[in-house]
Amino acid sequence: MDKLTEIRWHGRGGQGAVTSAELTALAAIKEGKFAQAFPSFGPERRGAPVLAFNRISESEHIRVRSAVTQPDIVVVLDPGLLYIVDVTSGLKDGGALIINSSKKLVDIKLEFGGPWQLAVVNATTIALELLKVPIVNTTMLGALLKVSDAIKLDFLLEPIEERFGKLAQRNIEACKRAYEETSVAEPSPTSKKVERAYAKESWPSWQELAPGFVVTEPGNARSYRTGDWRAQCPEWNHDRCIKCGICSLFCPEDCIRPNERGYPEADLYYCKGCGICARECWTQAITMGEEVKE
Amino acid sequence: METLGIYVPRLVTKRQGFTPGHRACSGCGEALAVKLVMKALGRNVIVVMSTGCMEVISTQLPYTAWEVPWIHTLFENSAIVASGIEAGMKALNRKGTPLPKAKVVAIGGDGATFDIGLGAISGAFERGHDFLYVCLDNEAYMNTGIQRSSATPFGASTTTQPAGKVSMGQSTWKKNMPAIAIAHDIPYVATACPSYPFDLMNKVKKAAEIEGPTYVHILSVCPTGWRIPTDMTIRLGRLAVETGVFPLYEVENGKYTLNYDPPRLRPVEDYLKPQGRFRHLTPKMVKKIQQRVSVEYASLKEKAASG
Ligand SMILES: Cc1ncc(C[n+]2csc(CCOP(=O)(O)OP(=O)(O)O)c2C)c(N)n1
Ligand code: SF4
Ligand code: SF4
Ligand code: SF4
Repeated sequence: MDKLTEIRWHGRGGQGAVTSAELTALAAIKEGKFAQAFPSFGPERRGAPVLAFNRISESEHIRVRSAVTQPDIVVVLDPGLLYIVDVTSGLKDGGALIINSSKKLVDIKLEFGGPWQLAVVNATTIALELLKVPIVNTTMLGALLKVSDAIKLDFLLEPIEERFGKLAQRNIEACKRAYEETSVAEPSPTSKKVERAYAKESWPSWQELAPGFVVTEPGNARSYRTGDWRAQCPEWNHDRCIKCGICSLFCPEDCIRPNERGYPEADLYYCKGCGICARECWTQAITMGEEVKE
Repeated sequence: METLGIYVPRLVTKRQGFTPGHRACSGCGEALAVKLVMKALGRNVIVVMSTGCMEVISTQLPYTAWEVPWIHTLFENSAIVASGIEAGMKALNRKGTPLPKAKVVAIGGDGATFDIGLGAISGAFERGHDFLYVCLDNEAYMNTGIQRSSATPFGASTTTQPAGKVSMGQSTWKKNMPAIAIAHDIPYVATACPSYPFDLMNKVKKAAEIEGPTYVHILSVCPTGWRIPTDMTIRLGRLAVETGVFPLYEVENGKYTLNYDPPRLRPVEDYLKPQGRFRHLTPKMVKKIQQRVSVEYASLKEKAASG
C-alpha cells in the first residue's frame, strides 16, 4: 500500500475546522491524489470543541471510513483547546503537531514537545490583520503546507477561490503569510509527554439505563461542563458595578450569581464566553478577556 | 420563591426548571428564551416539547437540563400530546383520582409551529384545551442546519435558499403566525422577545394563568443561523422591536395592546445590516422590506387604537 497521510483538526464549532479539512482534501484531489474530509461532532454547538479529519493517499482508493485515531499530523486551531483536549492523543512518532498560538516556539516546546515535529504560528494575529476576523481556518493551511507535502499551495488556490469568492485573495494572503511565519522544531525523542488530566465524560452502558431511556435524575445536565467551550472570559470591574443584575438576567447559561459581597460572578464551569453580559452591562463593568487556562 | 435578593429588584426566581449544562450554542437567544419562560412558569408545569434545537441541546442521554416533568414528542406533535395530557388529567380528576394542579405547556420551534405542526395546533386551539403553546421563533430550521421555514423573513439567506447569482435568499414573506392564532379566537395571544425579559415573563405568567388555550410567540435570536457575533443576541432582538420588524403586542379576548410603541420607528436597515444572512440585500430590497414593515405596523397600531 502506498503512503497514507492522516490528519486530525481540532477546532471549536464555528471556527471552520471542517472547511480546513474540506479545502485540504480538494487540494489533494486536484493534485491527482485520493482524499477524504469529514467532521465529527455531537449535538454540541458553536463554541464546543469539534474534530475534523483528512485521509490523503498518493494513488490508491481509501476504504477506511472511521475517525482518525492515530494521526500523522494534528492541527490545533484554537490555543485554548490545548488544555482541555488531549490533542497529541495517538499522534505518531515522527508525525507533526501544528499549533496556533501567540506563544514562542521554545515555550510551547516545553509543554507540547515530543517525538514529533512541532510547528507554531500566531494565526489569530495574521487572520485579524488580513481578514479582520479571528477565523484561522485558511491561515492554518499555510502552516500545514510548511510541515507537510501532503498538499501543495498551487492546488489549494482554486478550492479557496471557489469557496471564498471575493474574499479568496485575502485568505490566500493569510495562508502564505502563515507559511512564512511558521516556526518549526524538529522531533525531540527524549522529551516525554507532560501528564495532564483532561475532563472526560463517562457513559453508562445501555444496560444501566432505565427502560425507555427515561432519565430519572432531574437536571443532571448540571454536571456537564460547558465552560470548556469558552474562548473569552468575562471579567468584572466592581468599581463600576451597581449590582443591578441585568447581566445575570441576560445570561443564556443562567450562570451569573452574586458572590458574598453581592457582586455578580460567572460560574466558569458553565460560562461559554458569549460576551452578552459584557455587551449589555450599562455601566461597562464587564470586559471580555482572553481565556487563560493553566 | 427563592429570588436574587438585591439583584434585579423585581421578583425573579433563582432556580427555574431549566438548568445550566445545556449544550446550546454560545450566545443562543432560544436558550435564553427557555430560561426566562421557565422562570416565569415556576415548577407546577408539564412541558411537552417538539424536536428542534432546544430539545436536542437539553436532553442528550444520559443527561437532562429539565427539573420539571418533560416529555419528548415528534416534530409535529407537541400540541397533540399536550391535548392528550390535559384531557387525561381532566378525566382522572373526574374519575376520582385528584391530581395536583399543573399547567401543560407545549414548546416548539418555528418549523414545528409554522409548518409541520400547524394543523395540530389549530386543532388543539379549536378544541379549547387548557394549555399554553410557546413558539420559539428563530426564523429557520436551525437544528438541522439553517433550512428555510415559512417563518424565514423575506431576503434572508438560508442553506436551502442561499443568496447567490440566481437567488436573493428567501423569496416569500414571513407567515403571520400570531394572526393565525388570533383567528382561532383563543383568550390570549402575545408576542415577546428575551431582549425585553420582564415583558416576556409577565406575558408567559399571564398566559399560564388564563384558562383555555393561549399562545406566546417569542422571537429568539440565533447567532449561528443569523450569522452575527454571539454577544449581539440581545441587541438584535431590541433592534427587531425598535424597527417595527417584530412589534411587541398582546391580544386579550380580541382586544389589542401594543406594549412598546416608540414615537418613531428606526429604519429597518439598522436591524438588517448587522446580520450576515442579509448581507447581500440591495437597497431596492431593503426599501421593499421597509415599505412592508411600515404598512404592517400601521395596521397593527390601528387595531390597538380601536381596542
Ligand atoms: C417528521 C420529522 N421531519 C424532520 C425531522 C428532522 N428535524 C428535527 S429538528 C428539525 C428542525 C427544527 O426546526 P424548528 O422547529 O424551527 O426548531 P429550531 O431547531 O430552529 O429551534 C428537523 C427538520 C424530524 N425530527 N421529524
Ligand atoms: S449589569 Fe453591570 S452593573 Fe449591573 S450587576 Fe451586572 S456588572 Fe453590575
Ligand atoms: S459570557 Fe457572560 S452572558 Fe455569556 S455565558 Fe459567560 S457569564 Fe453568561
Ligand atoms: S443553532 Fe441557533 S437556536 Fe440552535 S442552539 Fe445554536 S444559536 Fe441556539
